[in-house]
Amino acid sequence: MKSIIAPNREDRPHALTGGGGCGGELSDKFKKRCLKNADRTFAQATQCQQINSIQAFISMEDAAFIIHSPAGCSGCVSFMNDLFKVGQYHRGIDNVRNARYVITNLDEIDIIQGGEKKLRQAVLELEARHQPKLIFIFTSCASAIIGDDVDAVANELNGQVRAIIVPIHCEGFKSKVPATGFDTAFNALIQYVFKDEQPQKEPGLINVFAPMAIGWKDQQEIEQMLGVLGLRVNYIPFYSNLEKLKKIPAAEYSTSICQVFADEFMEQLKQDYGIPYAKIGMPLGIRNTDEWLIGVARLAGKEEVAREYIRQQHQRILPQIAKIKERIQGKKVFICAGTARSFAAATLIEDFGLKLVGLQTPTYEEALIEDLDRLIKIHGDDFIVDVANMQPYEQANLVHKLKPDLFIGMSTWVAKQGITSTHVLETKRPTMGYNGILYLGKKIEDVIENPGFNEKLAKHKKLPYKDSWYLESPFKFHKEAGK
Amino acid sequence: MGHFIENPRSSCALGGALAFVSSIDRAIPVLHAGPGCGLQATAGQLGQSGGKSFGYVGGQGTPSTNMFEREIIFGGVERLRETIAGTLEIMDGDLIFVLTGCTADIIGDDVESVIEEFKAQGVNIVHTETAGFKGDSYYGYNAVVQSIADQLTEVVPKDAKLVNLFGIVPAQDIFWEGNFEEIIRILNKLGLKVNSFCKEQQGLKEIKNSAGAAINIMLSPWLGQEFLATYKEKYDIDTFRYPGLPVGPTATTDFIRKLAKQLGLDNVLVEKVIAEEENYVYSYLEKIIGSFTRYRFSIVGDTNTVLGLTRFLVNDFGRIPLVAVITDQVPEEHRNTIERELTSLEYARPPKVVFENDKWKISELIKEYKDDVAFILGSDYEKEIGKKLDALTVVVSFPTTEKLIINRGYAGYRGCLTFIEDLYDNN
Repeated sequence: MKSIIAPNREDRPHALTGGGGCGGELSDKFKKRCLKNADRTFAQATQCQQINSIQAFISMEDAAFIIHSPAGCSGCVSFMNDLFKVGQYHRGIDNVRNARYVITNLDEIDIIQGGEKKLRQAVLELEARHQPKLIFIFTSCASAIIGDDVDAVANELNGQVRAIIVPIHCEGFKSKVPATGFDTAFNALIQYVFKDEQPQKEPGLINVFAPMAIGWKDQQEIEQMLGVLGLRVNYIPFYSNLEKLKKIPAAEYSTSICQVFADEFMEQLKQDYGIPYAKIGMPLGIRNTDEWLIGVARLAGKEEVAREYIRQQHQRILPQIAKIKERIQGKKVFICAGTARSFAAATLIEDFGLKLVGLQTPTYEEALIEDLDRLIKIHGDDFIVDVANMQPYEQANLVHKLKPDLFIGMSTWVAKQGITSTHVLETKRPTMGYNGILYLGKKIEDVIENPGFNEKLAKHKKLPYKDSWYLESPFKFHKEAGK
Repeated sequence: MGHFIENPRSSCALGGALAFVSSIDRAIPVLHAGPGCGLQATAGQLGQSGGKSFGYVGGQGTPSTNMFEREIIFGGVERLRETIAGTLEIMDGDLIFVLTGCTADIIGDDVESVIEEFKAQGVNIVHTETAGFKGDSYYGYNAVVQSIADQLTEVVPKDAKLVNLFGIVPAQDIFWEGNFEEIIRILNKLGLKVNSFCKEQQGLKEIKNSAGAAINIMLSPWLGQEFLATYKEKYDIDTFRYPGLPVGPTATTDFIRKLAKQLGLDNVLVEKVIAEEENYVYSYLEKIIGSFTRYRFSIVGDTNTVLGLTRFLVNDFGRIPLVAVITDQVPEEHRNTIERELTSLEYARPPKVVFENDKWKISELIKEYKDDVAFILGSDYEKEIGKKLDALTVVVSFPTTEKLIINRGYAGYRGCLTFIEDLYDNN
């Protein structure tokens, strides 16, 4: 079986990892295929794909994990493990436990002599300690540069131990797009878990692919909505297990929590197992949720059922939304979030009559053309788009110039600029579907009503940039990629 | 040295170094490292240190060369040069720490020559090799102070009342801010000025002044051997080493008397301070006699935490130790000192002392005491075994994401009262 998943997201047609300008101009150039990708001559730290690959599986119940690296590469596992524990708590599990992960702790000697022996020991020891059904091995910059043959170790031990060993080649330096790490992870499933087996089809079963950022409340909301369509959910890969992974090919349909998560994986499943799929934006806000649900309903031939459900929900929710809108409409918003979430949030704010002035998103690609056009229809074509993997210095510059009334995203930096802020990413609280939008609406209303914390903080603390930086173009350090 | 570790209790050298540099006022860290290192190091170090983040600069705000395939193959020196130039153009700071990660150190980029170019232009800039494979967070801490001693200091006039304070490792000690504040408060009360580099908005000025200190106080039985030797060699500064954090009246008074002796402080002042402070603590302890309980306990944590809390619990607070697990990678030659400290307590049977950092093995060890242990002091990880054994578990050591820690600390006189508050359980 030959995989169609592109090795790196930046290698997808016309994908961008850097660039900036106003929405209308970007959309225009993108469609004419004359938008050049940009590199930065000055940059701040980014997320790497290893983080995403680990995140894909770390909450699986019956798996153990090996990060083949020095100790530092398990840094982000700290918040994933935290989410894993909170996730168990939310699901009513009493004896909350930590994810079973080890680092091979590569040291100077390993860098010279290789770390395969240690990796082998780690596999055997994890098997003895926890009897996992799966052992995932994540590579790192260090293990990849020294050329450790992780596949050979996995192949040698697969069969010797009871667990299925799945190596994932996710060294950070290989891709500029962290989300590549998800693709890398899904690709490994095809090779090591499915192995061309053709399981018995299960009518009414739908795979829903979702990243770890989706909390328990969101999962319940999704399952409830799909239940209305008579579908049972195989929720993957979070809080999942080997049995659920093996069921993926048995499903009747697939969908994902957004249009850029598991998208190529779903296409692969369609080709290999004939599973049709719906590739839709994230169900955040009224319009997005409507479209998400109808998109899935079309697959299952249940469009009428969906429309009736949507009508009922609108009746319930819209009057409450209207009340919030009355109080906050017209405010200017700057959004910074992951690719799908940032676009979804920019649509969502329409529900409350808010106006988009700036959007920071890690990547821009083919799948988002319609989304950008829609945003232009809603907000006009003069909002600024900054394609950036993090890069808070660009954000600070843009926020300073655009002076939004509200910032949606991580508040770390804008708080010191006195801009009130909230996020539509809440890993422990609801955000999705019709109940999620009410929760988010109240949150947005609250931060607009009381910006005191940020305003006072800004009088005491400043960002680490020179005053002169705010006078420069935010895109000053962009240069054409590869030049 | 490096066995694999289940649920690690430290970041890498880069993580330890980045947390330390981020705490130095107006110091700008620049990473010459892989694309995820800044985020991983921040989440792993600060994020697990009681839900904290950086102050002025750090995390994803850290300038970074983000080495991709092209830099790995062709070298990243040019990327570093333009990243430093960009940093100077837009970042508002006093000094730059270039921290190198695994990628740069494995491919052997000539970082020094780039640093020299900028030094020649009058930039305050240093380089610290902090590849993750070199060691853990403590290695990173040592390496940063070493580069301060080697590259940023020169002879300045002596100040008999100035001390440098080392051994509390930012964000690795989860109570580092509060612990620093209490030790500094006590030293100030003794008439001493304190260089910590990372509290009270200290930065380049205090780093420069450190060469004129009367003494280096090292609150650890093993950290900083090399940089303390450098301070001695270059500036003739002696070291006063105290084995671990002083917590509670007995240890803190012992710390003060020994330090005062080495520095030749005025005895009348010293005894006055001790009397006042001890009275402060005991005036509260007399009010909680009714809630005083005696539990047998197991403790898991870094050397400083285990020494500090075990001494306090046994010498001042009537508890019985069962097993003490030291989780930092203490070099063999210093392990005797730690064992001696823990086996020469004033009361009770000494605990079994074990050096181990693998969570699974530590849990197995604690299980051996399942009939006796009522009480576990450890990290978030130990809550799992605590729950299994039905033992009250209090988080006192790295890592923790479950606790939000701002400025509370356990060190010194006042810290022991905070610690007692955290021990309280009404069930």
